[in-house]
Amino acid sequence: MQPLVLKGRPIVEGHCTAEALVSTKPISFLGGVDPADGKIVEKKHDLCGACMKDKILCFPHGHGSTVGSYVLYSLAKKGLAPKAIINETADPVVVVGAIIANVPMIDQVHINQIRTGDMVEVDACKGTAKILKRKED
Amino acid sequence: MYLTREEERILDGECGWANQTCMKILVRLGELFNGRRLIPISTAHVSGISYKTLGDAPIEFLRALADANGKVKVKTTLNPQGLDPEYLAKRLPNNLCQKQLDILEQFERMGSTPSLTCTPYHLEKPDRGSHLAWAESSAVVYANSVLGAWTNREGGPSALAAAIVGKTPDYGMHRAANRQPSILVNIEAELQNETDFGALGIHLGKLLRDKVPAIQGLQKTSKDSLKQLSAAIATTGMANMFHCGTCPREKKMEEITVEDKDVRRAIDELSTAPSKKPDLVFIGCPHCSVDEMKQVAKLARGKKVKPGTEFWVCTSNHVREAAGDCVREIEKSGGHVLAGVCTVVSWTEKLGIQTIMTNSAKTAYYAPNLSKAETILSPMKECLKAALQG
Repeated sequence: MQPLVLKGRPIVEGHCTAEALVSTKPISFLGGVDPADGKIVEKKHDLCGACMKDKILCFPHGHGSTVGSYVLYSLAKKGLAPKAIINETADPVVVVGAIIANVPMIDQVHINQIRTGDMVEVDACKGTAKILKRKED
Repeated sequence: MYLTREEERILDGECGWANQTCMKILVRLGELFNGRRLIPISTAHVSGISYKTLGDAPIEFLRALADANGKVKVKTTLNPQGLDPEYLAKRLPNNLCQKQLDILEQFERMGSTPSLTCTPYHLEKPDRGSHLAWAESSAVVYANSVLGAWTNREGGPSALAAAIVGKTPDYGMHRAANRQPSILVNIEAELQNETDFGALGIHLGKLLRDKVPAIQGLQKTSKDSLKQLSAAIATTGMANMFHCGTCPREKKMEEITVEDKDVRRAIDELSTAPSKKPDLVFIGCPHCSVDEMKQVAKLARGKKVKPGTEFWVCTSNHVREAAGDCVREIEKSGGHVLAGVCTVVSWTEKLGIQTIMTNSAKTAYYAPNLSKAETILSPMKECLKAALQG
């Protein structure tokens, strides 16, 4: 079977392969993510308790506080940041965080095609996400 | 994106690392969001001031910018900090105070104005149609929607980058076409007080994503209620502005209706506390205006804060000075008027505060995660009843 390639828009360049962590809900990095361990702490969030470290973090878009950019920067400095970020719609707060934290990022991707646990290759220079291996049910 | 020769020189590093880094952030944002060029800004407003939300790593980023002679080119105001030098500094561990001072020092080295408020428009109102680079999402929505100034919702670092370059890319809210409403919101709910407006914002923010709504029937709404709406709509969404006048009905627009039950549900969801007895009653998110200070003072007159309860009113130094009589009245009741501080970016959990009662939907949204507190969301009058006796 040919791997599924999703085409998006490059935002912060980089290339990596990792397991996907997928949310259907927007994320606020301030308040929604614990900068001490990279876990999502927002109650009622579908990823509450999950850790974003070394994952391809897929979510529709960011929301809330403009301090979120610095939270992403802190996570990167502690080695807790995601390997890459895939959004449906990039918002400036997440974009600036990804720029200063140097986290590869693409947007305009149909993230509902990706499932948590899938092995995904992100080429953020071309703006593509390739699903290499589906998580076995 | 078109860059002048001067801008290209900055991008190439000829004006030092700080200017180059800031220019890189602006150019990248501009290219992503279809900016055509950089435009001069009148003022910048920077978020990410409290040590609680900033943390250690970004302090080094700020220090590196200041060390490399990064200097703001326009008036640059700052968001609130995590403690005030009088009341909270004496109750919180010294290392937190030191870190907080370190952050303020870096911003001072870069030439910013230590306004320490989330309502910089109470300090100096921007002109209608002026271009700004503001972070602090509540102020962004208020500036665009109520004051008629033009700003994107900047991330903390991009507002600082714009301040240091003195310009911002002309995308998003800096273009008239993007400020047109694309969705009509009919309000069938009865909005009785500032808390209802906050709850409306929480509800709408989730539905709107980045659409610009025209909200019907807000013409007679007070500025302070619109401030609550602005703060809340940005909390749950990406919204940058709303229209609150009569809406042009020329084109066919998507329509949604907000009913009473939507607003009540938002308030219920933001009231997590099992008991109705708060440890802290808090007014001032966003920071109180002079009008709000007067309302609080009037309700506090002749009363005393209940034993075992803290009562805080947060505002800017500027408003605190302008409302001296109100401050005395509130302090006489045993309340604390904290200037330059924001409760959710302070360390209330270190003071043993487990339940916060507030009239602010934004605070009620953030407090469970940022302050590890249960919340009670009620209008100002109810909050003061809970805080005071006599």
